[in-house]
Amino acid sequence: MERMDANCLIGNWPFRKAGRSTLEELRKIHSENRIHGGCVASLNSIFYNDPFEGEEELHDFLKGTEYRQVMTVNPTLPGGIEDIAEGARRFEIAGVRIYPGYHGYALSDPCVGPLCAELEKRRLPLFLPLRMEDERLNYLVTPRPVTVREIKGFLSGHPNLAVIFLGAKPYEIESLGEEIAGRPNLFFDMSGLKDGQFNVERFLKNYGDKKLLYGSMYPLYCLKSSILQLETAEIPDSSKMRIFSGNLQLILSQNADQPVSGC
Amino acid sequence: MLVDVHAHLWKGSYEENKKTILRLAEKYHVNRFYISSLGSLYPDKEEIAELNGATCAFIKEHPELISGYCYVNPSLENSLETLRRGIEDQGMSGMKLWVATFCDDPRVYPLAEKCIQYGIPILIHSFYKAVHQLKYESLGENVARLAARYPEAKILMAHLGANCYTQLKPVRYLKNVSVDISGSLYRKGEVDYAVKMLGVRRVLFGSDAPEANFLVSCGQVEESCLSEREKALIYGGNAVRLFDRSVPAGSISEKERK
Repeated sequence: MERMDANCLIGNWPFRKAGRSTLEELRKIHSENRIHGGCVASLNSIFYNDPFEGEEELHDFLKGTEYRQVMTVNPTLPGGIEDIAEGARRFEIAGVRIYPGYHGYALSDPCVGPLCAELEKRRLPLFLPLRMEDERLNYLVTPRPVTVREIKGFLSGHPNLAVIFLGAKPYEIESLGEEIAGRPNLFFDMSGLKDGQFNVERFLKNYGDKKLLYGSMYPLYCLKSSILQLETAEIPDSSKMRIFSGNLQLILSQNADQPVSGC
Repeated sequence: MLVDVHAHLWKGSYEENKKTILRLAEKYHVNRFYISSLGSLYPDKEEIAELNGATCAFIKEHPELISGYCYVNPSLENSLETLRRGIEDQGMSGMKLWVATFCDDPRVYPLAEKCIQYGIPILIHSFYKAVHQLKYESLGENVARLAARYPEAKILMAHLGANCYTQLKPVRYLKNVSVDISGSLYRKGEVDYAVKMLGVRRVLFGSDAPEANFLVSCGQVEESCLSEREKALIYGGNAVRLFDRSVPAGSISEKERK
């Protein structure tokens, strides 16, 4: 059964020593857990003045590997749309990550619309972390969590955009039940399933097995904490296969720019 | 051996919670759960009696699996009698302090002294929050003050204080303080950090189930850099020693020292 990680990062998380990872470390823990490949984003890009510099660094690490690059964009900065075009051309990006809570904007702000239009045009998914760490554990900076209410408004304005929510907690997923049931292009990773028991079974019972992706949020979260939930879930092997890799592969195959030759 | 030193029954959900805990025990081969029952933040006498009654009933139903903490609200004048009843009549194994008072409130002193007499641990909810800190929610500094006042008390500081990077330093030299890893803490590296600060013998496995996910805590231990022997101490060996009433607070046996 092929395993992929839809939500992992390399780079430095500035608030604690454990929150840093190199490609070698990521590969090691993935290998130990039989994961081969996935979507990698840059921690550095969240904090750089020019996030694209972080993307160039990331590409240097990932090129020629089994991993796909997810590009971090701050749409409040000028040139973000052009950066996406360049990222697609040079890095064959698998999607774009945004951080409204860290970069100080709301999903309803005008800067978000053009970014979403560009992603729709390229048939690239938006990776949307609701949080990077539990709000109660923030240190030095207090990023605003993305709220369910904000998400509902955002989704109604972008019906054709594929969105992968990262780090959503079970109660947040349940609050979006109507939206999840109503459109096929919304997905959730597993990294936020920290409350309650038997979350995978409950998710599948409510929404089926086509909307959940294995994602660890490594190195900020323990990879083992999420993978144990999927490994021990009492669901059919075919569903596990979808969650471990099938759903992500299907999303990535929609990209209008793929395959890109000559890069 | 797998011992979960921190799990709950919640008022209004007793039966559902029991089912969940029993299912966790069966599925993940848990040898023992240490349970406390909780409800409102500042419970009165009647609520406390109901909550401890629920814990006691669960112990009686499954003595081979369930042990309990007697939950007390130190601001109530009958708290000492509640503790006596819980330990002597209801068969509980420890005392639980939540958020009704700080754990170093003088009203806790007679309770701590009684726990020393009994030789039982005091489980203290300790949770630093960058947002929404409760009025009497204990921090590492509160735990440290109580532990320093009562070096004979066996203190179990819950949740690694939530933010281990700021909350463990106040207790690191207080050998009578152990910590559990329970709760919605899921950051990579926290178990290793706790062991670096306190030593492996002062770190215990807990889940905070059924509210928090049991496997999240398992994952934290599994992903740590510890040896299998050290993991076994966290999973159960340390708990056995902590709840052994004949073992004094903060002690390490000659065999363990070697």
